Amino acid sequence: MDKTQRGWALASLAILAPSAFVYVLYVFEAPQGPRGGSVIGLTFGVIGFAFMIFAALLGARKRVPTWRVGRAQAWMCGHLWLGFLALPMILFHGGFHFGGTLTRVLMWLLIITVFSGVFGTALQHYIPRVMTSDVPLETIYDEIGRVRTLLREEGDRAIESICGNLGLSKTSSEEAQRAGGFTALRTMSAAAVPLRTSAAVSAGASAAVAAAPEIILLSEEESAPLCRFYLNEMCPFLERPKQRGQRLGDAAKASSAFAGLRTLLPATAHVALADLEDICDEARQLTRQERLHHWLHGWLLLHIPLSLALILLGAIHAVMALRY
Amino acid sequence: MTRTRTTKKLAQRIDLNYFKRPTPQKRAKLWLSLLLPLLALVWIAERAIFKDSRVYSSGRLSEPHAVLEKECAACHAQKAGAFSAKAADNACLACHDGPIHHAAQTPTPGCATCHTEHRGRKNISAANNQACTECHADLKAGDSSARFASHVRSFEDGHPEIGALRLVAGIPASDPGTIKLNHTIHMKPVRRGPNGPNVQLECGNCHRVTAADADLTYADPKYRAATVSYRDADEFLPLHSETLKAPRSITGRELMAPVKFANACAACHLLTFDKRFDFGVPHDKPEVIHTFLVRTYREYIAVLPAEVRVLRDPSRDLTGKPLPPEVRFLTHAQWVTERTAEAENLLWRKTCNQCHTLTSFAKTSGRKIGLSVSQESDVNRLSSVSAELPYVAPASITLRWMPHAKFDHGSHDGFTCISCHARAMTSAESSDVLLPSIATCKTCHAPGPEHAESRCFECHTYHDWSKRKEVTPKFTLPALRTGGN
Repeated sequence: MDKTQRGWALASLAILAPSAFVYVLYVFEAPQGPRGGSVIGLTFGVIGFAFMIFAALLGARKRVPTWRVGRAQAWMCGHLWLGFLALPMILFHGGFHFGGTLTRVLMWLLIITVFSGVFGTALQHYIPRVMTSDVPLETIYDEIGRVRTLLREEGDRAIESICGNLGLSKTSSEEAQRAGGFTALRTMSAAAVPLRTSAAVSAGASAAVAAAPEIILLSEEESAPLCRFYLNEMCPFLERPKQRGQRLGDAAKASSAFAGLRTLLPATAHVALADLEDICDEARQLTRQERLHHWLHGWLLLHIPLSLALILLGAIHAVMALRY
Repeated sequence: MTRTRTTKKLAQRIDLNYFKRPTPQKRAKLWLSLLLPLLALVWIAERAIFKDSRVYSSGRLSEPHAVLEKECAACHAQKAGAFSAKAADNACLACHDGPIHHAAQTPTPGCATCHTEHRGRKNISAANNQACTECHADLKAGDSSARFASHVRSFEDGHPEIGALRLVAGIPASDPGTIKLNHTIHMKPVRRGPNGPNVQLECGNCHRVTAADADLTYADPKYRAATVSYRDADEFLPLHSETLKAPRSITGRELMAPVKFANACAACHLLTFDKRFDFGVPHDKPEVIHTFLVRTYREYIAVLPAEVRVLRDPSRDLTGKPLPPEVRFLTHAQWVTERTAEAENLLWRKTCNQCHTLTSFAKTSGRKIGLSVSQESDVNRLSSVSAELPYVAPASITLRWMPHAKFDHGSHDGFTCISCHARAMTSAESSDVLLPSIATCKTCHAPGPEHAESRCFECHTYHDWSKRKEVTPKFTLPALRTGGN
């Protein structure tokens, strides 16, 4: 826990401890037990709802980042700690009773919202570390689909560069450039371009530089195993990387598959084969990134809508409680 | 390994306007964020359209009020033009009268202070101890504090001994009843009547709850059928003026019925008065017994006039007094007077005195004799008969030993009588108070899941139901069931 969080944690404890003390006293003193409508009960309710409102305002603060109302980090800490404190405050408010229909709905909304938030916070602390170690080739999540298409096209070009025209490559040179232009660029100015491989990125190297040898077209007989492999295994994997049971979906199996191919192909094809293996590795990482991203942000699909419903119904409850 | 991935090339494959495109996740988040609050609003609006305010209820109503679950307005009456519709005492008092506890009490709490609604199907009359101890933990209600324990915090903390068992000026309290009864003798095998077999009495032979039929094992049908000139109620001690009566007896099994001679005693305690007769005198006032004796002897001598020749009883020689003549001839009136006097002597000094307290004697001519109408003619005819009649002290039976608490024998059916009233086995004096000590109650009634209820309401009643006023009902069945007014 860093210093900022420690400060908020201590402040939250400083709020929670006296509140709990007051609540216990209140329980022993109240003739009919704790009630939300009593002065103390209402006070807890108002504090709890204020915490909820503050937590909800983080969304507004994010929508308008130019607002000069405190640092984003402070808002996030407040969102986490005060949002969490809202739960005990509301439990004190209701005397740990869930009450009638609306209040019961509110209590469950609050519980789910708070615990989904806690779950999300835990994920936000854990998953980025996993992402850094498991997905060094991370890209922008929204662009994963697009990058995957480009990988497929890149693979098509790489295979056609050694096996001849298979009728796969359709991209223009401009698109090839956007895709990284690996094979095409290599043929044009292979010796001059510094290279940075995925393996080098994984290893933390800033610029692993190597000279690209010239590509030599293989004979039909020589290229047959590679063509078969590409068409039967690699293409389906690049198109549907999440499909289960694919050999290339598993890093170890993929490595052994490429090692096997390497024994069947002449040394001149090994460079292109390494490119294909690298493409598969990147595709696998993108799949992993997608999965992690779903964990990282999926809980928000529950947290945000429920919290909005909670604020809305909470406001209605506050008004109607004053009436009845 | 020749595949190149420079920053520039990596940037080239990213559409720089990617953030403007909605992704499925963003779209789902947006729609859910709109949909869920909207659903919540629709739900609230739908309830409002159907005028169903139950959604705002803070919990289910108690069992007695469950029928009002749809009738929020029965308690939450909204004043014209006002937003607030809070339940007020008036709503409670419209159906229930809630007499105050004491005239001098301060403060007088509102109904909801003790009776909290919307807490589910629970006993709404089960007030929390704090409602009582708010005053009774430090009682300052005028002169009441002198007579009541002033620092009662709970049944376990500060509750005094049962009033009837408390020492008064160092002297144990005694039963004010005047009927002489030795419980010890009665709980051992005793002879049934002068010549009957030995019997073992059970508590229930004499003591039954008011709703139960009397045990007639030791009853006498003639006495049960007889009309008596005294009223049972005259024999009971009046209730304490400050007794907080329970609203009503619910089962009739709460209190014990007073023991009656005809039901429980007559089979053994024969009220015989003369060997000439195989029946006893009525179990009634001395005046009635006197009249009965005179009438009985007059009728007897009219049928057997030869009895006026009285032979001296040989056993009378032992007194040392001058002996009467061996044979005496009496008039009918003399014979009746002598026999009546002999019978009364036996009754007043032995038979009646065995159980009743006969405190003084008075001439019948000196006071009005209370007789039933059917006996009036006898009194006129026998007005010349003079006799010394004793004054029988009223039985002074205590019907409620705990005027400020309620006890239900019916709820304690599972226990033997002596498990609580153990002193009955050893009590020889009718002045003994045989109530169990409060310590006996505390063996079962204590806080915690393994004990019986020990909160104040279990034994005590807050409202003084003797001051109850009738209320005018306001609901009709169809309206109540359909939610109308």
